[in-house]
Amino acid sequence: MSTIKKRQDARTWQMKYDGTAPRLGDTAPDFELRDVNGEDPIRLSSFQGDKPVVLIFGSFT
Amino acid sequence: MSLNAIYQEYHDQFQFIKIYIREAHPVDGWWFGKGFVKYPMRIFSPKVSLNIYDPTTIEERRAAAGSCAESLKYGVKTYVDEMDDKVNKDYAGWPTRLYLIDKKGIVVYAGGLGPFGFKPGELKQAIRKFLQEENKS
Repeated sequence: MSTIKKRQDARTWQMKYDGTAPRLGDTAPDFELRDVNGEDPIRLSSFQGDKPVVLIFGSFT
Repeated sequence: MSLNAIYQEYHDQFQFIKIYIREAHPVDGWWFGKGFVKYPMRIFSPKVSLNIYDPTTIEERRAAAGSCAESLKYGVKTYVDEMDDKVNKDYAGWPTRLYLIDKKGIVVYAGGLGPFGFKPGELKQAIRKFLQEENKS
């Protein structure tokens, strides 16, 4: 994904990836990410059997 | 309905994960800091930055994510998508999106595409429904 420059590019990107994004009842794709310091890795699947998870996607702009 | 309020109410029962992804409207992209659009942005989204360039390295991305977390103060700890944007692509998360995943790893709420489908009120309803059904079983 490169920097999106205009509305049409944004729409094209969303339509492409929304087609394969998980829907209600689907297994959530697993991931491991690190915090803003590159530390403290967190893995989604580590919460299975323990806690439900809220995912919030976003940026600063 | 703010995400911060939802977090404050439910963070003992749910794990909240903020995933910082590629910038939506950086200065070097589809920028909202020019022309007429900057005025409503300043009024209706005062915490949103209009001065960020799209990070080109993971170090820049982490720094931007840190500034974002400091400014928005969701209360939710921020994790940073890698430069291949894999998690963003897997969930079609750009520019904003919400999901609720149960204890089996199954999606029980998939919010609409942002920005118009980004509805914290819907998330709260999904949380309440989840808790009601959990209490029945």
